[in-house]
Amino acid sequence: MSFVPGLGLVKGMSLTLRRFFEPKATVRYPEVPADVSVKFRGRLQLLLDEHGALKCETCFQCAQACPIECIDMGGMDTKGRFHVHWGPPETYGERREESALRRSGRTVPDPSFASFTREDVDPLDEVLDQYDYDPKRMLEILEATQAIYGHLPVAAIKKISQATGAWYAMIYGTASYYGHLHFESPQAEAQVAAMAARRPSESTYLDRLGASLDGTSPSGAAPS
Amino acid sequence: MSLLATPKGWPTILLEVAPAVARFGGLRRAIRELGPAGTIAEIAAAGLRGRGGSGYASADKWRAAAAAGQELGPRVSRYVVVNAYGADPSSLTDRTLLAENPSAVVEGAAIAAWAIGAEEAIIAVRAGESAAIAALEAAAADARAAGLLGEAIAGTTRRLEIDIRTVQGAYMLGEETVLIKALEGKRGQPEQRPPHPAEDGLWGAPTVVQNAQTAAAAAWILRHSAAEFRATGTADEPGTILVDVRGPAGGGIAEVPFGTPLADIVALAGGVPTTTKGGTAAKKGPAADAGAGRPIKAVLVGGPSGGILPADHLSTPYTYEALRAAGAHIGSGSVIVADDRACVVDLARVLTRYCADEACGKTIPCRIGTRRLAEMGERLAAGTSRAGDLDLIITLADDITGSALCDHERLATLPLRSGLRYFGPEVEAHLEQGICPAGVCRPIALGRAATTAVAPTSSPATTSPA
Ligand SMILES: Cc1cc2nc3c(=O)[nH]c(=O)nc-3n(C[C@H](O)[C@H](O)[C@H](O)COP(=O)(O)O)c2cc1C
Ligand code: SF4
Ligand code: FES
Repeated sequence: MSFVPGLGLVKGMSLTLRRFFEPKATVRYPEVPADVSVKFRGRLQLLLDEHGALKCETCFQCAQACPIECIDMGGMDTKGRFHVHWGPPETYGERREESALRRSGRTVPDPSFASFTREDVDPLDEVLDQYDYDPKRMLEILEATQAIYGHLPVAAIKKISQATGAWYAMIYGTASYYGHLHFESPQAEAQVAAMAARRPSESTYLDRLGASLDGTSPSGAAPS
Repeated sequence: MSLLATPKGWPTILLEVAPAVARFGGLRRAIRELGPAGTIAEIAAAGLRGRGGSGYASADKWRAAAAAGQELGPRVSRYVVVNAYGADPSSLTDRTLLAENPSAVVEGAAIAAWAIGAEEAIIAVRAGESAAIAALEAAAADARAAGLLGEAIAGTTRRLEIDIRTVQGAYMLGEETVLIKALEGKRGQPEQRPPHPAEDGLWGAPTVVQNAQTAAAAAWILRHSAAEFRATGTADEPGTILVDVRGPAGGGIAEVPFGTPLADIVALAGGVPTTTKGGTAAKKGPAADAGAGRPIKAVLVGGPSGGILPADHLSTPYTYEALRAAGAHIGSGSVIVADDRACVVDLARVLTRYCADEACGKTIPCRIGTRRLAEMGERLAAGTSRAGDLDLIITLADDITGSALCDHERLATLPLRSGLRYFGPEVEAHLEQGICPAGVCRPIALGRAATTAVAPTSSPATTSPA
């Protein structure tokens, strides 16, 4: 609040007048075409839904469909490790669980803040050699990798990507589909509530089916 | 899981273990006598249809694969993939076949490869089934020792190899295009068809995907004859199929001829239908006994995406056509008997949720359609349905069926659809009165328990809450 009466008004008006006579930056689109390359298709960006969860399903349809392979999927976590995004092996089931958690207002623990352990990727050489550096045998390579580390460390995926020439994103997309492949050690997954809510296993299904047949279903309580 | 005793006179085809002298006799006959075209003609004459769920004529697939890529010359690669994954957790039919008769599966795979001009047949098995894998390896080694696999088989110049590969990690791997993706080391999502795998399959090569039972049946046909095969089953659907029957009184695997009434299959698991005379007699009173003295309420036919058929449909013959018309399908060969303790709404909810969770996410009907369907099922069970939900289920199910990429989404609509079709009053009780007649669905049933305060064994349908 100024003590000189009218000073605020003068200040305000002076800004208005200054801006009024300045050259304008507004492009009268669409009357005046914007000056961008004819190839420009807008910025590629992943959107968030109203609950702040990533809308992208990591299904890789866009990356696989893109004729000039300009779409790849990736990102950095807070430790500079390369990721598509964090989460359990997923199909739609798990993403639903994770966004349900977000919607509930509880914080989703972020494993990217967990302590960073350096992985020794040398044992991978033998695996890659055994499978002939062949990206067509990716599932076998990933299974052999998981047999070494107990899960698929980022550093290992990165190395597999470099050695086989398969995109990191494609490897991630493959690994995230299969229920038996994991991105985090079992201990780390146990710490993260969202990760525990993975796609129901076959035995979970059989239990639920059995309970339904016995008339003892805990129904109505399922997440939606 | 154990094999069930079947009535006298039921033939054994898929589970017939060839005696030592006749081992791989079908494959020998295909190579020495019939030749590739003759082999396909024999399969066509037998009217063999796929046992993996779709019931597609095998000979048509083989012919298409043999013809595809012909312009590229004689050495174009083709593949045979035997689908022994057994996706449905509640059906152990294929796993049982591998354990009981591995050499028939190996022989059938080799016959198919011989017929279409493939040098490699892959048998895709569930990882972890180490006994089955060992049995298949042993059978393949026997065939190799007999000179029927390897570089120049049985005096010809043809190379033929059998590769046993393991896959795991998702329900959808059972679907043929997904299985092919997994064998290629890719994310397991289905491909649009056509082109069918017979033209564009594994590594882009013509590929015949055949269920393990289909392979075993093909081996039997060539060991015996097409005419003998046709003596079993129905005219359209000859032969037998393995079913996994489960009921309150027990269950197991059985080989049944196509066309067997559902009642007879249910009876194998200890449920004893009092009559197969017809629907009207069955409707009144305790029509059929599910075992343990309780009446059969419904039969789930086809696995997680199966149809829920009422007890008065037990006369339905077990064939592709009849089951499809009834709103179910053969699917995984699973037949599950539910007695009156089960609530159809709850059952449909559990099934639809599993189908939605396992949907691959590739297309909108799959990713979002099945999920919305499962949510509506959950709302019905929770007593929180919205106005118009029942109509919406039907409309959405129609839209999913119409626009689905693979059969999974289409079939995932069956539990709710058949539930609505046959158990209308029970569904409406949930929706309109907010009660669960079977006393299963909790949020609504709690109110009932409070008002009636009876032991859970009392006849559920007769007590009606205030
Ligand atoms: C969701 C889904 C799951 C399937 N699971 C299996 C399976 O576990 N085993 C199988 O043989 N076929 C399965 N099928 C059918 C296959 O796609 C394919 O039709 C079959 O393997 C072809 O062999 P057939 O002609 O001998 O039946 C499945 C299909 C769908 C849509
Ligand atoms: S990966 Fe799938 S969901 Fe994500 S942006 Fe691409 S197409 Fe969309
Ligand atoms: S399950 Fe996704 S397209 Fe069929």
